[in-house]
Amino acid sequence: MNPPVQQAIGELKATFDPCAVVVEDDGQGGAFVIIESVPLNRPYDQKETWFGFHIAGQFPYSDIYPVFVRADLRRADNKALGDGISPGHTFRTRGAVQVSRKSSGRDPMIETASAKMLKVRAFLESRP
Amino acid sequence: MSMKSASIDIPNEIAQVLLSHLFPGDHDEHGAVIAAGVSRTCSGLRLLARDLFLARDGVDYVAGNRGYRMLRAQFIGERIAYCRENKLTYLAIHNHGGTNSVQFSDDDYASHKRGYPALLDLIQGPPVGALVFARNAVAGDIWVPDGRRLELTHARIHGTRIQDVYPEALRNPGLDSYIHDRQRRIFGDLGQARLATARVGVIGAGGVGSIVVELLARLGVGEILVADPDLIDPTNLSRVVHATGFDAMTWLRRPANPAWIRTLGERLSAPKTRIAKRIARRANRAVRVVGLRDNFANDDVAMQFKDCDFLFLAADSMQARLVFNAIVHQYLVPGIQMGSKVQLDTAGETVENAYSVSRWVVAESGCLLCNQLISPHKLALEAKSDRERKEQAYGVELPNPSVITMNAVSAAHAVNDFLFAFLGLAEDKAPLAYQRYNLLKRQAVLDNPRRDLACTECGQTRASRRAKGDAVLLPTLKRSE
Repeated sequence: MNPPVQQAIGELKATFDPCAVVVEDDGQGGAFVIIESVPLNRPYDQKETWFGFHIAGQFPYSDIYPVFVRADLRRADNKALGDGISPGHTFRTRGAVQVSRKSSGRDPMIETASAKMLKVRAFLESRP
Repeated sequence: MSMKSASIDIPNEIAQVLLSHLFPGDHDEHGAVIAAGVSRTCSGLRLLARDLFLARDGVDYVAGNRGYRMLRAQFIGERIAYCRENKLTYLAIHNHGGTNSVQFSDDDYASHKRGYPALLDLIQGPPVGALVFARNAVAGDIWVPDGRRLELTHARIHGTRIQDVYPEALRNPGLDSYIHDRQRRIFGDLGQARLATARVGVIGAGGVGSIVVELLARLGVGEILVADPDLIDPTNLSRVVHATGFDAMTWLRRPANPAWIRTLGERLSAPKTRIAKRIARRANRAVRVVGLRDNFANDDVAMQFKDCDFLFLAADSMQARLVFNAIVHQYLVPGIQMGSKVQLDTAGETVENAYSVSRWVVAESGCLLCNQLISPHKLALEAKSDRERKEQAYGVELPNPSVITMNAVSAAHAVNDFLFAFLGLAEDKAPLAYQRYNLLKRQAVLDNPRRDLACTECGQTRASRRAKGDAVLLPTLKRSE
């Protein structure tokens, strides 16, 4: 894995400690990453989810997009998940909900992988 | 240039400040230090001027104990510390009188022998050395850690012109190339000989790249390195010069044929790099062509381009654009990014915009990242397989509309810019602006690129990759072992 990818994985482990972080080399300097058991608040029924994503070999220049979460994600009020959050996908071997949140105008040197995941979680938790 | 020699690349911004300092019109001697990145190639050691430190007369550059003048120990110590921290080469600079030839004096060589072994110990890794300038000449004595001393073959100054400065002015080689007679009347035997020494990289051998390869070969460029991972497709035949129906196996790939025949035809189609090689050799038997049928963004491919004299980016991919931009600034290899774009309305029926572009990318103009021409989103999408893109509902990206005549405009402007810069014919003050030709409006537009001094690629900060050479990694894709 390229050094910036390795560094990003180290930061993810530190940021999301004690959540397990599972890493799989993608064969091109990047990695497929799953962060298990990330705490999740309202408006969802579940209290936690996994986050799955691909850090491409050319990170940090490349965005991390999209991000995948548990396939059975469900709102406590039974409303639809909303724009940018779509069920029926797969990440590696897991059924998944896809969270399409691209970072427009992203500064690759400021938005770290950890910052991106925190933004995605904040996006999920801010759905009306 | 062999491993017994070295050269130095100096961006014009640095060269102008240095030469004004060394030659203010007082016919006296002045001093400076350049901190330079290092690029080790099979053709020799390339030093990449990154930072310039002018020595103040009477303060940093004083009367010598043995020679005429010397750099003060404190000035040297601070620069050596800076070079050690940043893994850069330390080069002491001074000037002599004279115009078209220069060499070190006996006193100069004696001071190198006294001081440079200790400086090598202090700098812990990179080389140390000295350059001496006359008005139109430069000589160099470079000490490398393994004990060798390398002579400087030339200094290359990069700007609107790409000028080589030697220890002694080159003599007319007296070429006898009647094939290039008409163009030699423009740039002379020296210019033609200079083209024959050029090593040029072409990234992408499709519609634009194939034209660039032909133009370079016919000009008499010595070596062309071309990278493209693709096989030719029947839809390329209207744009890739000299590509044939046989190359594309058109009769096997007809839509009406069974799928297994179409697949066979696809597999038997010619690589674009093979076609590029054929184009070049037909145009000029003397040209050396290296075809790399691979993704330029792979590390082992990209690294082969780091010691090119010039780069042409004729590939669509954002991955290639990122690596090209990095090589230009990290290894001080000037380049041009080319392309053409046709924008249709949402119904796909009306042409709303059609333009050809040619963008200079050099050390002192803003880079593609500064000018938001490298999309983080597209980089993420390109890293996915076609299957992943489909599953994640981005679809397989449809090809952009494209036509040979627009590609030819882009290619010809780019190769002309290279030619006039490389042969020193362009005017000093000619802008390094991006050129855009709007075909619908029949309008030529120059866009001045912006430059972010904090940019990670071309900026002035310590962390930027500018002129760092081998000290930092390129943002390439690494194949797992």
